[in-house]
Amino acid sequence: MKHLPKHLQPRWRYLAVGLEAWPDADLTRGDFQRAVWYAAGNLLGDPGSADADLRVLSFEFGAGAGAAVVRVRRGEVGPARAALACVSEVNGHPVGLWVRGVSGTVRACEERYLGRRAGVRAERRVVFENDRRRGYVRDGNVDVAGPKGFTGAAELDLESEST
Amino acid sequence: MYEAVHAHPDGSATAARFAATAARTGYDGVVIRARDATPDYDAVREASGIDVVDAAEVVAPDPERASGAVGGLRPEHTLLSVRGGTDRLNRFAVEHERVDVLTRPMADDGDVNHVLTNCAAENGVRIEFDFGPVLRSTGGERVRALRGLRKLRELVADADAPFVVSANPASHLELRAPRELVAVGEVVGFDPETVRAGLREWGALAERNRHRQSESFIGPGVERGRRDG
Repeated sequence: MKHLPKHLQPRWRYLAVGLEAWPDADLTRGDFQRAVWYAAGNLLGDPGSADADLRVLSFEFGAGAGAAVVRVRRGEVGPARAALACVSEVNGHPVGLWVRGVSGTVRACEERYLGRRAGVRAERRVVFENDRRRGYVRDGNVDVAGPKGFTGAAELDLESEST
Repeated sequence: MYEAVHAHPDGSATAARFAATAARTGYDGVVIRARDATPDYDAVREASGIDVVDAAEVVAPDPERASGAVGGLRPEHTLLSVRGGTDRLNRFAVEHERVDVLTRPMADDGDVNHVLTNCAAENGVRIEFDFGPVLRSTGGERVRALRGLRKLRELVADADAPFVVSANPASHLELRAPRELVAVGEVVGFDPETVRAGLREWGALAERNRHRQSESFIGPGVERGRRDG
C-alpha cells in the first residue's frame, strides 16, 4: 500500500530498557516481545494495548544482563512504562527491568542510553554465608548459586577466603 | 524516594545488592525489612551511596504474638512494620503508636474499614499500598488486589490517614524504579503525586525515628540542647 503522507504517519517514542536476570536465564527477542504484549494486554486491556502499540525493536541479552529498544506511540509513554514495569517474568525466568531513557529516534536512543554494554562477567568460587559457592561477578555485583536457586549479592557480602 | 525491600534470607537478594540496584534506578534510599537479615548497614550505605534504613517487619499469626515481637524489636530498629492480613492483626497494628507501618492490610483475609483508617490517622500508623500483586500477578488474583487497593485508597483519603507505597520486592529483579511505580499507579487510579508521596514517606519516617532515637531527644517538643540566655 502507498505509504502515508508525512503528517498522517504515526509518531513514535523509543524506550531504552535495561534488563537483568539470573545468570542461567536464556531470553530471546521473541520471548521478551511476547511478555511485553502479555503485560500490556493484561494491564491496559486490548484498547490501551493497541494504543500503546509496543514493539521490541532491538534486543540483546546474554549471561544475565541485556538491553532492548521498545517502540511506543507518542503520548503513550506513561502507560507503556507501566506495562513494562509489570513484566516480571520472561519465558519463566524472573527479570528485572528499568527504563533508562526515552528518545524520539532509535539512533538517539541507542547512542544516548545504550552506549555502554554491560560489564564483563567473570565466574569464580566465592565464600557466601560460610559456604563455598559458584559466583557470577559483574560490576561489583555477584549472583551466588545455591541449593535453592540464586541469591543476588554484592562484593560486600562475600567473605574472604581463608584457605 | 525510598523503597522497602525484603532482604536475604527473607528474600533472594542481599541488602547490599538491593542498595546497589536501587541506587541505579534512582532511589534515595532503601528500607531493609529484616526478619533474619543482619547486614552491616554502614558498609552498605558507603558502598551504594544511598541511605539504608534498618527496619524490621513483624510477621505473626495473631496480635498476641505480634505484640511480643513489637516490644522486643522496637528498641533495636529504626523502623518497625507489622504485616497485616487478618482483621485482628490490622486492628492491632493501627491501634499501637509504636508501630510505624501496617503492611499488606488487604492481603489474604484482611480487610479495612473507616474505623481502622481513622484510628491509623489518630495514631500516626502508616498504611501500606502494596503494589506487589499489581506488578507480579495476573487474572483473578490481580483483580482482587486492585479491588483491595481501590477500597483502601478511598478510605485512606477520607480519613486523611498517613500512607506509604511499596512494591514489596523480594529480590533485586522485582525492584522497579520510582517513575515506573508512578506510571503503574496512574494506570490503576492513583494520583502521581500520591505515589511519590508514599515513596517519600519511608524516608521521612526513618528521619523522624532516627531523630527520636538520638540522644538529644527527650519527648515530642522537649530536646536536650545548648542553654541560651
